[in-house]
Amino acid sequence: MSRELETVVPDMSPAADLAALLRACASGDRAAFRRLYDREAARLYGIALRLTRSPALAADAVQEALLQVWRNAARFDPARGAPEAWLVTLVRYRALDLVRRTAREVPGLEPPEAEDETPDALAGLIRSAEGAALQRCLEALDPERRRLIVMAFVDGLTHADLANRLGTPLGTVKSWIRRALLSLRRCLEP
Amino acid sequence: MSDRPDALEVLAAEYALGCLDPAEMRMLTERASQDAAFAAAIAAWERRLAPLAALVPPVAPPPGLWARLEQAIAPTTEVAAAPPRELPGSVWRSVRFWRATTAGALALAAAFAGLFLLRPVAPLYVATLGPAGGPAPTFLAEARPDGSLVLRPLTSVQVAATSDLELWALPPGATKPVSLGVIPRTGVPRLTVPRIATASTQLMVSLEPAGGSPTGQPTGPVLYAGTLRGLE
Repeated sequence: MSRELETVVPDMSPAADLAALLRACASGDRAAFRRLYDREAARLYGIALRLTRSPALAADAVQEALLQVWRNAARFDPARGAPEAWLVTLVRYRALDLVRRTAREVPGLEPPEAEDETPDALAGLIRSAEGAALQRCLEALDPERRRLIVMAFVDGLTHADLANRLGTPLGTVKSWIRRALLSLRRCLEP
Repeated sequence: MSDRPDALEVLAAEYALGCLDPAEMRMLTERASQDAAFAAAIAAWERRLAPLAALVPPVAPPPGLWARLEQAIAPTTEVAAAPPRELPGSVWRSVRFWRATTAGALALAAAFAGLFLLRPVAPLYVATLGPAGGPAPTFLAEARPDGSLVLRPLTSVQVAATSDLELWALPPGATKPVSLGVIPRTGVPRLTVPRIATASTQLMVSLEPAGGSPTGQPTGPVLYAGTLRGLE
C-alpha cells in the first residue's frame, strides 16, 4: 500500500562479496568458507527455522546446504544466477526435504502456526532489483493467490497443506497457484 | 495472453516454490537430471522466487553449528576407516537415516535439488561391479567431483522380499567398509550417495536383511564388487 519506502541500507557485511567468497571456497580456502558462514548463516538459519519449525532440523538443513556449497563451489557459475539465490535455494530444498521426511515418520506433528502475511510485509522484498520487481508483480496478484505463493515459499506448505490450512478445495488451490505463477512469469518477463 | 498451456513451465515453478509433495519432487528431480531444458526452467524459477526469502528475519544459528561444519570439511579421508557411528557430519547421519526409512529413495533424489544451475560435471572415477568371476558387470558406479556417487543397474537384479542389497565402500588402506546405504528395491534406476570416493576405493554390494545390515558392517555375502578407477 502507500507505505513509505525507507532508504535501503544494504545489511550485508562490508565488502564481503559472496561470489568472491565462493571462488575462494572453490580453491579449498577454509577461511573464506568461515567468512561465508559468518555472513550467511543467520539468514539461512532463519529461512530453515521458518520452514522446519525445529531448531535441530533447521541446523541440519543449514549444515547440509553449506556443505553442498563447499563441495560444489567450483561448479558455481555467476552467469547462471546470483550466489545469494543459490544459497537460499539449497537451504530451502534441504529444509523441505528434512521436514517432510520427519513429518512422514512422526504422525501428528503440529502444522506450522498461521503467520500474518500482509501485503505490507512484501515491502521487505525491496532490497534488490530482483526483489523490487517480484514485489511489484506479487502486488498485482489477487490477494488470496498472493497469500498462497508467499505461504508456500516461506512456510514450506504443499498444495495439500495449503488446502487444509485455508479450507479450500485442493483443486482450487492448485489452479490458483498455477495461475499466480504464470501471472508472475508474465509480469517479471513480459 | 498467449494460450500456451506449458505444463512443464508450471511444474518447474511449483518445484521451485516447494509446494509439491515428496513423490512429485522425486520424479521431477529425476527428470531434471536428464532434461537440461527442464532443469534450466527450474533454475530460472529458483532465481525469480529467491527474493521472497527476504521476508524471513535472520536468526542466529546454534553456537555449535560452525564446529560441525568445520569438522565436516576437514581434509580427512581416513575417517572412512572409523566405525560409522563416530563419523562426523550430517552426511553420515543422513546415510543411516536413509537406511532406516522407507522414504529413502525420496531422500536420495532430493539431494540433487538445488544443484541444477551448476556447471555439469564429468564423472571423476568409475567402477563396474559384478559377481566374482562373473561374465558381465551388474552395476556401473560413477563418483563425481561434487561428492556424489551414482549407481546404475546394468541388468535386472532380483532380491527376495526379506532381503535388501546394501552398498559399501572400502577406501584404500581402510579395514572396515562404510555403508553407503541400501539400494532401492524398485522403480529407482540409480542410487545417489553424497560420498567423497577416491581412486582405488573398493565398492561392494552385500545381501542383507530387509532394511540393511543391523550391525553397520556387512552381515551377508558380497554379491558384487569392483574398484573405482580414474577416467583417463
